[in-house]
Parts: sequence; structure tokens; C-alpha cells
Amino acid sequence: MSSALELLWVEKYRPKSLDDIVNQKEVVERLKVFVKERNMPHLLFAGPPGTGKTTAAHALAHDLFGEGYRQFMLELNASDERGINVIREKVKEFARSRTPGDIPFKIVLLDEADNMTSDAQQALRRLMELYSSVTRFILIANYPSKIIDPIQSRCAFFRFQPLRKEDVVERLRFILENEGVDYDEGALDAIYEISEGDMRKAINVLQAASYIGRVTVDQVYRVVGMAKPKEVRDMLNAAISGDFTTARSMLRKIMIEYGMSGEDVARQLHRELFSSDVKMPEEMRVLAADYLGEVHFRLVEGSDDDIQLSAFLAWLAMMSKRLGV
Amino acid sequence: MPPIRTRSSLVPWVIKYRPRRIDEVVNQDQAKKILVPWIKSWLAGRKPEKRAALLHGPPGVGKTSLVEAIAGEFSLEVVELNASDYRRRSDIERIVGAAARKRSMFKKGVLILLDEVDGINPREDAGGIEALVSIIKTTDNPIIMTANDPWKDFLRPLRDVSIMVEFKPLTLTQLVSLLQRICDAEKLECEREALRYIAERSEGDVRAAINDLQAVAQGYGRVTISIVREVVRGREKSVDIWRTLNQVFYKPRYAWIARKAVSQSEKDYEELLAWINDNLPRKYGEPGDVFRAWDALARATTFLNRAKFGGRWELLSYVFDLMGAGVAYARQEGEVLKARYSYPEKIRLLAQLRAKREVREKLAEILAKRVLTSKSTVKNEVLPILSAIFKNAKDPTKPAQIALAYGLDEKMIEYLAGPQKHEIVRAIALLKKARAQEKSKVEGKSSKKPSRRGKEQKKTQRNVGLDFYF
Repeated sequence: MSSALELLWVEKYRPKSLDDIVNQKEVVERLKVFVKERNMPHLLFAGPPGTGKTTAAHALAHDLFGEGYRQFMLELNASDERGINVIREKVKEFARSRTPGDIPFKIVLLDEADNMTSDAQQALRRLMELYSSVTRFILIANYPSKIIDPIQSRCAFFRFQPLRKEDVVERLRFILENEGVDYDEGALDAIYEISEGDMRKAINVLQAASYIGRVTVDQVYRVVGMAKPKEVRDMLNAAISGDFTTARSMLRKIMIEYGMSGEDVARQLHRELFSSDVKMPEEMRVLAADYLGEVHFRLVEGSDDDIQLSAFLAWLAMMSKRLGV
Repeated sequence: MPPIRTRSSLVPWVIKYRPRRIDEVVNQDQAKKILVPWIKSWLAGRKPEKRAALLHGPPGVGKTSLVEAIAGEFSLEVVELNASDYRRRSDIERIVGAAARKRSMFKKGVLILLDEVDGINPREDAGGIEALVSIIKTTDNPIIMTANDPWKDFLRPLRDVSIMVEFKPLTLTQLVSLLQRICDAEKLECEREALRYIAERSEGDVRAAINDLQAVAQGYGRVTISIVREVVRGREKSVDIWRTLNQVFYKPRYAWIARKAVSQSEKDYEELLAWINDNLPRKYGEPGDVFRAWDALARATTFLNRAKFGGRWELLSYVFDLMGAGVAYARQEGEVLKARYSYPEKIRLLAQLRAKREVREKLAEILAKRVLTSKSTVKNEVLPILSAIFKNAKDPTKPAQIALAYGLDEKMIEYLAGPQKHEIVRAIALLKKARAQEKSKVEGKSSKKPSRRGKEQKKTQRNVGLDFYF
């Protein structure tokens, strides 16, 4: 038995340097210029999930500052930070410390910046100006249209293209060969389809599938099935069939076993609402979405999740009885 | 109130101070005006058109007391039957039927008292109501029934053959002065404020108020506000919640009663929400009722949340509207189900839930830094895959290696692996041993105590659950 440690492959096979990035050629070429010049403006990276935006930002910082680059980079994630005030404090603190040797700035990496409200973005803009002498911001977003114009105009804009199938499959093949895992060619196509071009998803599924045995199409779908809690769908179906009591105890089980928050459950419910595996009259789906939306909003406001979601299940049970499901 | 004094403290005061004459029954003049002439007509040998009377009102307002006082003043023999003891058709025909034809040996007549007829279960005790109705139509003796809620559907046939006599809850002032009279009779030192507190708590229920007064007086020898607050509150705690729940689920006649039940409960609103939330499916069965009730409850929590986090406490009012009256009046189709109330599971589970969420949060934090994405992406995308790996990997060494690489502790492994946890923990122990051996091979030549080392390794293996960090 090997006592070596095993990393998640998304970490293990992440390109460290810009030179290691094989796709997004145009973006990479432009970024390499900044490394050569030892300077850069504020940057805005936009593109679908799993196309290498965050990886590129880290690779850029790595190439600028060397191995210990992370001490010169403040990594923030807008969806995890509690509001602009927290961000402001962290940036203030970070900007105070010294800048590295020959480069006169440090990097603030703000991921998922499009999750910020426009008010918060206004504050962010002022922050960028205030500390522009000692910091550079790299903003990362899935939807650049959700970034306010004054920020867009201050940043060099980089659009990350959706990964092509060849790019993803080639990368997966490289990993499998390196790991010495047997696979069917068709399984790689299947992973691409499932992950919709999201490299992170693709590699995660690959790793899980490889631990079960030879990577085959069936294996891939099995893994995906395992990773998707079936309970949410079962709960929906129980409520629709009128078995409200069962639905409700399943709700508790889901929240407790998976530690899911009410919002997580609402999101999952919403994903299932229009699925053909959930049997309900088509017109009811729309009404259900309407009611779920209200429930979700209240949860975002901070309302009690068990009660709110129970109300939704009770609604389903009542509606399906009324519509004679 | 008769100033009869008995030394014995064993006699419950509710019996000791029970009204003996009609005019001692407080606040029920309206009821007396209907009931007394009705009885007089029986005694005059004119059987009234309706041979039964249905006395209704909340508990402890004097329904039974008035009947007993009437019997005393007119010298009638009371045959008291608790309807919930004799409910089957055959019981009612036999026992009530016999009483209906009974002649009193020593008194002027017989009066039949049937308590709690609303306790009859129309489904389980089939035929009971019909049997009662046919007895009423032919009875030779007056039949008086009591009920807290006479408006239940199945009681309609009884209402049709009875005169309806309403009893009102006592006002605060009436209750306080009644308690004061008892204090005087008992030569007790009583603070007015304390009596008010008892009276308020009782919500017009004389029986409850007198019981509370006796409990304090006999326990402490005096009745002061500070003692009352302690004793009455403490004693009520377990009782109060059932009463509150009843007043919500059994749809009182007025919405404000259901509202008051929750706004004045000993439990705070969050606890009450949990009680109602958990008992709703036990008491309501019709999907429409269930939904309306939960919708009301959901709105209540929304208002509560807005009140709490906006600091807009006046919104709390709407919380009570919706969780009390809203839930009570949501029941429009079905009957209240028979099931017993249960202690809210949620309060018990909350701690469990919090622990689980903390583990999930910590996992997300560790992985987000390494996988370079947000915690929410980790939670929604990475953890499910990781969990699939931990639960299904053919060789537990793989997840064990991952656990070591990311410094996952036992709780995190349990979160990810569920029942597979033990195999993974075992694999980790083996890995650690192997690592230690590799290390000792390197250091081997300089090490002079190989046996000690072996012991240490065993120890590590045993302690592995607590020793994941490296």
C-alpha cells in the first residue's frame, strides 16, 4: 500500500504557470505580456464556470511573484464574504503590508464579483481607486453584464471561451494516463456532456469514477447519480402523491443528514420542479415555481427554513389533490 | 361566598368555596334567567317543549356549579354522568335511559347532569348521539348537558332538542374580588397585585384561579406578587402549552381567543412556533387545511424575521395574528384529529442540525482554499462528488489518502462517508503506520530504541480518531 497522499485532481492537475495552460490561448498570450512587463492594470475575467478564470489569475500571480505568490495575493470570494464592509476592511489591511521586491503592487483577487449588488460594486470601485497605487484588482465573473460600467471601464477585459470538447477530453485523457487508470473512450465523451464544458466538474466526476473501477460510460453515470441526492426528488414526489407526512420527515432527514440549509434545499427543489421524473400536471409546475420563489425569497430574508419548506410541501399536497393527480 | 371555615387544608378550595346558592354563582345572570324558569316549569309539572338544556362556555366559569346550586335550592337529586365515560349507544340507553325514568325517593325530583358531551366521538362512539336524542324526547326528568364547544357539527341533533345556555368567562374584576373574598375567609395576607396576576393567568377560569391561589397560600402562608410569579408560572409551564395548543387547533368561536392563546403563552414565540409546526400534521388532516395552516405559519415566521432583524418589534403583533388565529381558522374542511400532542422534534434536532452544518461549513472552508472556488460552489458541487468517492470507492485507501492530504477530521469523514467511515478510519491508521515506518527506516540507523517505537505506533493506531491532523 502506498502511503502517499492523494489530492483532489482538480488541485493536483491545476496548471501552475501560464505556460501550463493549454487552452484560452488568446487570453494567455495577453497575460504573458504583463509578466514580461512586470506590471498590469486592473483585470476583469469573464466566462462560464470551469473555463479557467481563477486558474489563470493564480498562474499569472505565480509567474509574477514566484512560488510564494499567495502571500502577495488577497483571495476574496464575493459570495462568501459578508458584504462590502468586510471586503473593505480586508483590502485596507492587505494594502498596508509591504509590496514584494521588484513589483510595486500586490493583487486582490475577487471571485464571483457579479454576485455583488450594484451598491456594493460602487463601493468596490472607490476601493479600487483608493488603493490603485499599491494594488491591482482581478475581478472574476460569470456574467460581465452584471458588472457595473464604471468598473468595466477601469479594467482590462478578458473573455474566457467555453472549453471545446477536444480540450476537455484531451485533458481527461492526460490525467487518466498519468494516473494509470483504464478507461473507455466513450466515457470521456459522456463526462464532457455531463459537465457542459466545466473542467472542474469534469475532473471531479472523472476522479470519482476512477475509484470505482474501469472508467466506463455506465460508471460515469453511476457516479453522477450518486452525487445527486435523490432524496429531494423523492420528497417532491411524496408530497405530490399526497403523502405529506412522509415528505415532511424526508425534509428533516435531508436537512440533517446533509446539513443542507433551507436555501440549498429550495435550490435543489427548483432544479427538480421541471424535471420529467417529477410527475405533476404541467400547469402546476408554474404555480409551484411561483410559490417556491416566494418561499425562497423569505428564506433569503432569513425566515425559518423548516416551516417555510413545510408550507411548500403542504401546498404541493393540496394542489395535487385539487388537480386530481 | 359562604364564610364556612374548615380547619382541614385537605379540602380543595374549589369544593370548599363552591357556590351553594344560585345567587352565589358569579356573572351568569343571563344563564340563570334561562335556566331557572326552565327548571321551575318542570317542578310545576309542565314539561317544557325542550326537555334538555345545553350549557356551554369555557372551562371553570360555573356551569356545573350553577346546576348544583339549582339542585340545592330546589331540593333535587342530581344523577351525574360523565358523557365521556358512557358513550356507546348501549351504555347511554341503559344508564341514561334508566335515570330518565327514575323517581327520587327523598327529594322533589331528579335532575340528570351529563358533563362534557362534546367529548363524545362521533366516529368511535357511533349511535351515541342518536340514543341521547331519543332519550331526551321522552325523558321524565330534566337533562342538563355541559360542553366547552357546543358548535361541533356532530352535536347538531342535540342542539335541536335543547335550550342553549351560554356561560361567559368572568371578568378580571369579578375574579379578583372572588379571590379576595376567599383570602378574607382564610384570613390570608394577600397582595392585590398578586391576585390580579393569578386572575389574569387563569383567563376567566375560576377553577384554575382558585387552585393557583390555594397552591400559593398553602405552600407559602402568604400571597405576594413575587411568590405568585414564581409558583404560578413554574407550575403552569407544563400545563399551559397544552391549553395554548387546544385553543389554536380547536378553532375557538372568536379569532381573538386563538390569538390571545399564543400572545399570552408562557412559551416564547419561537418555541411556540416549533410546537405548532410539529403538531400541525398530528391535528389537521385535510390537505387544504394543512396547507392554509402552514401558509399562515410560514407568514408568521416571515413577520417574526422582519421584526427581529429590522428591529421593528411592532410587527410581532402580526406574528401572533397568523400563528394563532391564522392557524386556527385555516381548518375549514376537516375535524381535529385525535392524535396526542408531541414535544417538538425540531428543538431536539436543532442541535444535531447545527453540528452537521458546522462540519459542512468547515469542510467547505478547507476545500475552497485548495480548489480555488467559493464555499458555496464547494458545497453544491465538490462535496457531493467527494461524498460519492468516500462512500463508494472500491479501495478505502483512496479516500483515506485524500482525508490525510486535506487534514480532514473524523467528523468530516463521517459527514462524507456515512457508514463507510470506519473502513476509512482504519485505512488512515494503516497509512499512518506505513508513513511512520518509512520515516523510521530513514532514521533507523540512529534510533536506539526500536521496541519503544513499536509501542508508540500501537498507541497512535488506537488514538487515531483524535489524531488526524498532522
